[in-house]
Amino acid sequence: MSSENVRFTDFKSDKQPTWCPGCGDFGTMNGMMKALAETGNSPDDTFVVAGIGCSGKIGTYMRSYALHGVHGRALPVGTGVKLANPDLEVMVAGGDGDGYSIGAGHFVHAVRRNVDITYVVMDNRIYGLTKGQASPTSRPDFETATTPEGPKQPPVNPLALAMAAGGSFIAQSFSSDAMRHTEIVQEAIEHDGFSLVNCFSPCVTFNDVDTYDYFRDSLVDLSEEDDYDPTDYNQAKDAILEADKEYMGILYQNEDSVPYHEAHGVTENMAEIPDGAPDGATDLVREFY
Amino acid sequence: MHDDLNWAIGGEAGDGIASTGKIFAQALSRAGRHVFTSKDFASRIRGGYTAYKVRTSVDQVQSVVDRLDILIALTERTVDENLDELHEDSVIIYDGERTEFSDFEAPEDVTGLDVPLKSLAEDAGGAIMRNVVALGAVCAVADFPIENLDESLEKRFGNKGESIVENNKQAARLGSEYVEEHFAEEGPRYSLDTTDNDYVLLNGDEAIGMGAIAAGCRFYAGYPITPATDVMEYLTGRIEQFGGHVVQAEDELAAINLALGAARAGARSMTATSGPGIDLMAETFGLVATSETPLVITNVMRSGPSTGMPTKQEQGDLNMMLKGGHGEIPRFVVAPTSVAECFHKTVEAFNLAEKYQVPVYLTADLSMAVTERTYEPDEFDMDEVEVDRGKLVDEGDISAWQNEKEQFQPHAVTADGVSPRALPGTKGGVHMSTGLEHDELGRRTEDTDVRVEQVDKRYRKVDTAIEQENFDYREFGDSEADSLVISWGSNEGTLVEALDYLDEDGVNVRVISVPYIFPRPDLSDEVKAAEDVVVVEANATGQFADVVEHDVLERVERINKYDGVDFKADELAAEIKETLA
Ligand SMILES: Cc1ncc(C[n+]2csc(CCOP(=O)(O)OP(=O)(O)O)c2C)c(N)n1
Ligand code: SF4
Repeated sequence: MSSENVRFTDFKSDKQPTWCPGCGDFGTMNGMMKALAETGNSPDDTFVVAGIGCSGKIGTYMRSYALHGVHGRALPVGTGVKLANPDLEVMVAGGDGDGYSIGAGHFVHAVRRNVDITYVVMDNRIYGLTKGQASPTSRPDFETATTPEGPKQPPVNPLALAMAAGGSFIAQSFSSDAMRHTEIVQEAIEHDGFSLVNCFSPCVTFNDVDTYDYFRDSLVDLSEEDDYDPTDYNQAKDAILEADKEYMGILYQNEDSVPYHEAHGVTENMAEIPDGAPDGATDLVREFY
Repeated sequence: MHDDLNWAIGGEAGDGIASTGKIFAQALSRAGRHVFTSKDFASRIRGGYTAYKVRTSVDQVQSVVDRLDILIALTERTVDENLDELHEDSVIIYDGERTEFSDFEAPEDVTGLDVPLKSLAEDAGGAIMRNVVALGAVCAVADFPIENLDESLEKRFGNKGESIVENNKQAARLGSEYVEEHFAEEGPRYSLDTTDNDYVLLNGDEAIGMGAIAAGCRFYAGYPITPATDVMEYLTGRIEQFGGHVVQAEDELAAINLALGAARAGARSMTATSGPGIDLMAETFGLVATSETPLVITNVMRSGPSTGMPTKQEQGDLNMMLKGGHGEIPRFVVAPTSVAECFHKTVEAFNLAEKYQVPVYLTADLSMAVTERTYEPDEFDMDEVEVDRGKLVDEGDISAWQNEKEQFQPHAVTADGVSPRALPGTKGGVHMSTGLEHDELGRRTEDTDVRVEQVDKRYRKVDTAIEQENFDYREFGDSEADSLVISWGSNEGTLVEALDYLDEDGVNVRVISVPYIFPRPDLSDEVKAAEDVVVVEANATGQFADVVEHDVLERVERINKYDGVDFKADELAAEIKETLA
């Protein structure tokens, strides 16, 4: 799969993003492209599936085989791509609304299947494309046109959801910390199994609470904590459930993770089929005697 | 007596009705007799009434009839439910120790044979074998050599060990001997000839599953729903032997998206569901179609709307498949008309999907999906299976489809409406696709000209397909007759048998059975040539009749049945006669 001399710009399409100037999605995407190049992937062997939302436009701005799907259903598409051809590097990207609201059911099941895909959620804690409604990660008092007094519900904790579903790689990054974000996505790609990277990707137009400044000031980078061991399940669990702090870095990684296609023996490229019925098909008829 | 024998076993769900029925059906088919089975089941797992009916003859049989010759009644209700079908030569086998027919309501001249099924089963090694004891009793009544049961008992119980198989064989013999000893003088006897033929016995869901594997389908994702689940159960454990995989998805939304992903990666891919699942898939259906991804979506129809009558027959989803979803987009709808056609049309559906890069609805109705029928094995000739993957391009010919910037154009506007397809991994073929309206590169656009060009391009495939394919119909009866009966789906078999009844009454009809709903054969000449035209279908409004009227601009008569029960040949013949009169 790896190919030499691939540069990250090879993953850039010639289409100019229409994201608002300053949108966090620029940084998130750049990190993804760099991480793909760093891990030796080429656009020919990469498949990017995107959801709907400002974040979902990423499939248009990156250069690879890609499908821009319907709202919330990107993960099943990515799963299908990977199982049909495990040689492909599969990345799925979308927003917090896409992944944790309309697609929440698929999220939990994609995690527990542990298919070897990298899922990057561009978490801006708001619905961007539909112009500023509350998302499942919005704060309880976050006022929007559809929630004038705030959603008055606790936000979902995607990392905890992933952990509860048996997630084997759970990470959080911040789009404007380009280096760390790239490193984290790179590790996610290299992980054997489903990797969640919840990337804080501020919406400069509609969210004046979860801003660059907010994340810069509040995020604690776990790689700088001496005693943090991401392979320690209990430590990870405590960090993920910690209510007063937000972390960046790899919160949990199961080093014994066996990806779905290996666990289920789905390792062939299913695109290659014979011109007629496969050998042995006649036995299928005999079974009905 | 008659060689056309109708047999049933009925009892409560959980009594092992289906497996007992299947053992007998297989024994008959191995003995070279034709078999047609039908199931009467309710939407519950235990309790309630359930029955498995077998019609058998040395000639081909392809529908149910209103006559029951031998009935194994495990409960009193079984008799009540079948009163109408009993006649003076019927034999009921029951266990007086379990079922007291105090007010034995069956017509007086029906013969009841009280066989201690449970005690005899215990003698053979366990009460659980009482249904097999009953089968042995049936063999005696039907003069059907009991050895014929042995192979199907081996097939059914082989994996449970030799002694279980032997016990079951013994149980069958005890049942048969009991009838010979105690009822030698009693009641009518039947006689079932055997032949040297070995038939295969399968249902529509199984034929679809087998067709899918034969066609090279490698990926299946589905969510359980009656009556489509059998497709998934068939593929599970089998498709793996051919390098494929089945995923039980979390819901239908996931199922179709998983299948879409696999299809984009280049696998021949399928999902199957029933009406409610089709509703859930509708949004992604549009994406499959706009992204021009080949996909087979099987809809095994049941009674709707909403959850309707989930275990009952209906052909009510035609409008949904033809028109469902927002916006306008071409899709193909293929509707096999018999169990064997389920196999052949599934293979064809995969070819159509890839040749035209469209979603194909493959639809069967419940009756066809769950009833088993016998065929000569070479009806399913694997050597005849052809695979046409359409306009796949590889590294060598990709440049012909690139623009001046060497970008691949997955939605290139072509004369035949079909664009080239580069599978991921193909050098030079990198592209994205989207459900947004897009240009030839697959990029979003709202340009009015491009929009119109792409819509036209997608619809042009339909014209190309009509030109290149043979979307024909099947024909039965008297091709010169003035009266025309049109049908689709499982009604074909019943109609063919109804022809015999009509013949007896001196009524000549021409029957046209249509396996392609869209694109479909043009029936204008046929309809215009006929004096009377009637469309037969299992729904209330006549959805296919509407389609015919739309095409031909002429009114047609309708025969509709929507009570959840299959058409019966004699009933249908009478209705046709009345409608044509
Ligand atoms: C079935 C369906 N419902 C609603 C929409 C409208 N819609 C488009 S994007 C979006 C929310 C996007 O929010 P998020 O996923 O957080 O992405 P962002 O735009 O913030 O990046 C919604 C509700 C849709 N496209 N499809
Ligand atoms: S609305 Fe928000 S999320 Fe969308 S592009 Fe603008 S800044 Fe980014």
